[in-house]
Amino acid sequence: MILREPALQLDPRVRRLWALEWGLVAVGAAVLTAGVAAPMALADNLLGAIVVALVGGSVALILIGLAVLQPRILYRRFHYEISDLGLYVARGSLWRRWQIVPHARIQTVDTKRGPLERSLGLVSVAVTTASAKGGTDIPGLDPRVADALVEELARRAGIDEGT
Amino acid sequence: MSEAPSRLHPLAVLVFARKRIGASLLPILVIAFTWRGGFALPVLGVVVAVGLTVLVLEWRRFTYRIEAGRLVIERGVLRHTTRVVPLDRIRGVDLQAPWLHRVLGLVQVEVEAAAGGSSAAELTLAAVSAEEGERLRAALLSAGAREEATDDPRPALVLYRATPRLLIAGGLTSGRYILAPLAVIGVIANFADDLPSALGDRLLSEAADRVPTEALGVSVLAAVGIFLSLVLAAAGSLLTDWSFELTDDGDRLVAQRGLLTRRTVAIDRSRVRGFDLRDSPLRRAFGLVGVRVIAGGVAGGRPGRTALAPVIANDDARVLARAIDPLAAPDATLERHPRAALPRRLARAVVVPAALGVVALALQWWLPAAVLLLLGLVGVPLALDRYRQLGHRFDGNRLAVREGSLSRRWTSLDPRAVVSYAIERTPFQARSGLCTIVLHLGQGAGSRRVLDCSEEQAGALLVALDVPLFAPFVARVASAAQPA
Repeated sequence: MILREPALQLDPRVRRLWALEWGLVAVGAAVLTAGVAAPMALADNLLGAIVVALVGGSVALILIGLAVLQPRILYRRFHYEISDLGLYVARGSLWRRWQIVPHARIQTVDTKRGPLERSLGLVSVAVTTASAKGGTDIPGLDPRVADALVEELARRAGIDEGT
Repeated sequence: MSEAPSRLHPLAVLVFARKRIGASLLPILVIAFTWRGGFALPVLGVVVAVGLTVLVLEWRRFTYRIEAGRLVIERGVLRHTTRVVPLDRIRGVDLQAPWLHRVLGLVQVEVEAAAGGSSAAELTLAAVSAEEGERLRAALLSAGAREEATDDPRPALVLYRATPRLLIAGGLTSGRYILAPLAVIGVIANFADDLPSALGDRLLSEAADRVPTEALGVSVLAAVGIFLSLVLAAAGSLLTDWSFELTDDGDRLVAQRGLLTRRTVAIDRSRVRGFDLRDSPLRRAFGLVGVRVIAGGVAGGRPGRTALAPVIANDDARVLARAIDPLAAPDATLERHPRAALPRRLARAVVVPAALGVVALALQWWLPAAVLLLLGLVGVPLALDRYRQLGHRFDGNRLAVREGSLSRRWTSLDPRAVVSYAIERTPFQARSGLCTIVLHLGQGAGSRRVLDCSEEQAGALLVALDVPLFAPFVARVASAAQPA
């Protein structure tokens, strides 16, 4: 690619966060499968129950596979950097996306802490612009790194607006 | 000024429902009425009940109030959000009454606000009573001491005026107007299946008796059908865009249109970021295009509000383009995208329907197979044209981008309007050294993309668009910084 990769990486703990998220979805799929298949089996619809169990089971297995693989790949392929004029974020492996948000266009800089993130001591930073889809986010940062990042983004955005 | 929080009109629940369901209503109804299984009705019932509960909650949690010189809107069922807009930032208050609102006696209030510096936002109160709408408009605008956006447009310079002839030509060449009657017929035919069977059968056999079977009769019938849909298409175009007039009073572009409901849209010239020229193969054959503005705060998704000229002759469109933006270069030659983009167009237009067609053949579904294979065949020239249309050009002032064939769009854009940049690359693009640049414009103006350009083109274009921003990120400055 013609743009060089951004320099900074996320906190390594973010892999655990993503794995947990996928794991929860997998558990949800498994519970749902059991919830549908069990009544079907009780209603003597054995064939239906087996089909549902097979489909749901393989979905859950795929999700577990994702929980193992996706965090490692995404972590390795997620980079970000702040330059004098903009925030540069690159993410994704096969479907890759490079985003550049000029500081002058940043409207808000937020930090978010979901329950999972809190339990791991991580923070994510979200940046919004005047375009709903033009913003970006940086998940899974150490709180101190995130604070410094928010501070710097807010400062640069403010300077560029001339306030 | 301070007041207690108000809620939207209770009937807003219906408006929410319609917005949520939107285009999927018809398929849902069709499925509900054609599904013969026993599950459909209970499932539908549960879906409706849950949906209604959510909508009522949404209505209960949506409040607005004017306090201490600010408009405060709170909403959200699961995630609670509060929006605060100082009244002196409000630029315009637009009262609109789409058909459902008109039936219920409600209006939709759209508040256009500058949210600081260069950005604007639009707040919508989905449905309040007509009196409340008027009261709000007065209350919101009095503080800002702003003139009403749609009030008294001084007609100065007329940039475009639609003649009935032009509108008829526009209706006849517009896929939207031509296909509308077909869609209606399709829906009616679908419902006819669900009439009590005796009635349906009798109607059908009655009709069948009267349907001529000899060649002459069939062709007369077909001719009448085609003639009727053409008349409807022309009528639709005339109805919506009757005596469309675009004027320029120096500060604002004002577009007025419509036969039954006259609509006026005023666009601050300072917020114009560029424009789109749109056409279709049929319109290209007649040398016609449509012109739409790209402007902050003019909700780009709704064509009704962005049209500068619904249908206009090619040469006049060039003149209009330069009147809107003197720096635009509608005749400049675009830089083509690499040949590797052609297989991607072919893959989408040809391979997918052809593969489905082969599957249908294997399953011996003759009719779908024939239709799909035919689609695949038509896809070849379509893909070739889609590839041929790809192109971009940046002359230092304006970025021109073109894509599409059945619905072709040529965009002229002021790059200062770009709020953020993204480069996207799928695995297929990576294999052929392509990528897509997405330029987000902000303030409801949407985004425009440079589809399937080479990585070198992407680098060169980005650096040309904003040298100081991209220079630190470009790996190979020497090869990328060639003149655009």
